[in-house]
Amino acid sequence: MNNNKLTVSHAPFWHDGDSLFQMNLNIIIAAIPAVLFGIIQFGAPAVGVLTLSVSTAMIWELVSNLAAKQKLTIGDLDSALVGLIFGMMLPATSPWWLVITGTLVAVVVGKMIFGGTGANPFNPALVGMSFLMLSWPVFFDFDAAYVSYDVDFTALAPLAALKSMGPEGIDGMFTTGELLMGKQLGAIGSTFGLGLIIGGVYLILRGYIRWEIPVSFIVGIIVCAWAFNMADSEKYAGPMIHLFSGYTLLGAFFLAPENSSSPVNKIPMLLYGFLAAAMIILMRNVGAYSDGTVLAILLLNLVNPLIDNIRPKALGKGGSNA
Amino acid sequence: MIKRSFFTLTQPRLDYDLVEPDPKEPESIPVPSNLTLLLSEALDNTKTALLKKGDSVEKGDKLCLYDDSKEYTVSPVTGTINVIDTYTDDLGNSATFIVVKNAQGQASDSKAKIYDLKEDMASADGCLRTLPGAPPLKILAQDDVKIDTVVITCADADILSTTNQYMALKNLEDIKAGAQILKKITGAAKLCITVPKDLNIQGSFDSMQVFKTSMAYPSNLPAMILKDHLNMVLPAGKTPEDMGVCFVTAEAAVSMAGAYKTKSAGFEKVVTIIGKQGSRYRAKATIGTPLRKLFDPFSIHINDQDRIVVGGPMQGMATYTPYHPVEPDMDTIIIQDRDAIPEISDTACVNCGKCVRICPANIPVNILVRYLAADQYEEAADKCDLESCLECGLCAYTCTARIPVFQYIRLGKHELNKLRAEA
Repeated sequence: MNNNKLTVSHAPFWHDGDSLFQMNLNIIIAAIPAVLFGIIQFGAPAVGVLTLSVSTAMIWELVSNLAAKQKLTIGDLDSALVGLIFGMMLPATSPWWLVITGTLVAVVVGKMIFGGTGANPFNPALVGMSFLMLSWPVFFDFDAAYVSYDVDFTALAPLAALKSMGPEGIDGMFTTGELLMGKQLGAIGSTFGLGLIIGGVYLILRGYIRWEIPVSFIVGIIVCAWAFNMADSEKYAGPMIHLFSGYTLLGAFFLAPENSSSPVNKIPMLLYGFLAAAMIILMRNVGAYSDGTVLAILLLNLVNPLIDNIRPKALGKGGSNA
Repeated sequence: MIKRSFFTLTQPRLDYDLVEPDPKEPESIPVPSNLTLLLSEALDNTKTALLKKGDSVEKGDKLCLYDDSKEYTVSPVTGTINVIDTYTDDLGNSATFIVVKNAQGQASDSKAKIYDLKEDMASADGCLRTLPGAPPLKILAQDDVKIDTVVITCADADILSTTNQYMALKNLEDIKAGAQILKKITGAAKLCITVPKDLNIQGSFDSMQVFKTSMAYPSNLPAMILKDHLNMVLPAGKTPEDMGVCFVTAEAAVSMAGAYKTKSAGFEKVVTIIGKQGSRYRAKATIGTPLRKLFDPFSIHINDQDRIVVGGPMQGMATYTPYHPVEPDMDTIIIQDRDAIPEISDTACVNCGKCVRICPANIPVNILVRYLAADQYEEAADKCDLESCLECGLCAYTCTARIPVFQYIRLGKHELNKLRAEA
């Protein structure tokens, strides 16, 4: 009698072949245009910040795994992605300790203490970033950060300039085309608008982010900024500078759609994107921050479990037919 | 295996297979020397068994364990009982298997016992439960079940299976005769038949209402047919029979017709076999034949760590041994090479929402798995619609984290029923 040892498992016996590794790898690939541009624009210091950020993020996850005696999970690239996005939000001149502290907070506080991949209620990169911005705001003054750089465009961070000088003051300094092509001061991965859009469209087409979130986010930015602009165009700038500067596009395609801190149902996704954008414009126009993206998305991460309760009725539940 | 396409802006779509035009006769598998019959009743040492090793049985004999047994099986051959022992099914329930040593030779056309078969439910339930295609007579015979619609399914419920389509192509007259018998014994007012949209069947369906079902999975599942064609919503936790609708496979209708014509039961089950390279074969084997015997004529070799799936790729179950017997409801057998088996993982849900968007029942699967992983079955049913699940398996098929979502759901339903039974 031939007794084969068969593999026994449960249905379904097919899989679409996707995996966490594939998903994270694709998001990293999508970030490459913006990252490459940042490296070209800001040179070797940008490479240093990005590599330090990615590697330390992975090391912090490894350390947490070892400390908690868990299976090692860095192979799914989740921390690498957190590190990359985090690095993209830093100025190229950030000191090494700032990067390491940031990734420590991002990975350990933002993700690992909640239970690791998938369990984080907030976007880990944003947790790390908000910690740094509140603790050492001086490093996020992009005008000061790039003071030794010699550039062929207006050497001012658009949103900070807008905050201090108003729409009249910056009139003609930043054209939409220049902003889109990355001719602005900002974080390593946030200046090249076109690259971010290409990456975002790639992710939407591949199905790795839900189109509802970035689309409603961008619509939210345009509608809210336009409404403020209509109310008082001397005090509030138009939608284009808001859309193509600061962390806005990074937020639309890489920060807000982060899986575990964003909703999955249709109406909640639309609400989430729109409300996050509305909060950003409110912070920029009414609040104290020149760029509110980080805190606005964190705030909406907090609201996510609530709004994600708006969902269609399941088959055979409630209704007159039951 | 169907992989994710490069661009996935829309939902992935799995299509049902269509039976090949002008199908060949199924390969007839000779009756083996030993046949295994499964009986979903546990052995009980405190009672005196009616069956023991060495008893001789006749083809068509009803085999029950005890005087008060509700379960029975029917011997497909004349021979002697060789083994009676216990096995454990998927969810840990004890059941019994009986091995019958064949004394009639390899031919399957020997005469079976003649029954005193009348056109009423009790009589049919008394001896025809194990007919090929497994007509749901046990459920229909319950006193509180009142059927007003009988649906004959020529559209196979799971992907890859074409057994019932084949029956519809070849035995339409028998299906109609079987449907009329079912209508009479259930007292149903309405007869319906499901046919895959792209399947071209020659001949008329008489008074039966024809439902052309979509080729996209899971449109042939009972709950979807109720919703799409009968405008009924299956309430969570209910069965179609509770709603007065019963689903009978085309093969079961054919064997019902045969049984009433000859007053004896048939035992030849048609099975679709999917080989390692995806090639499709069709065989006709006596119920109780070990699966291994079905692979030999098609030179399918089973190696260590391969997987044998009974039922379709989405809803089937994997078997522990190539000696698993052919059962009355076994429409499809899939052999997967060990290199083709997708890995699963114990990663937590990352909330990507693919399962939520593909779920035909609108279940918040992402939240549901969290409750199920924490063993909170009541909450899962109350807050996350556990019982609305149609068990199509699409959530686990598409899961990025490769969580065995469907297994969580099946186990959750099982545990929930256990909790409720204890309460």
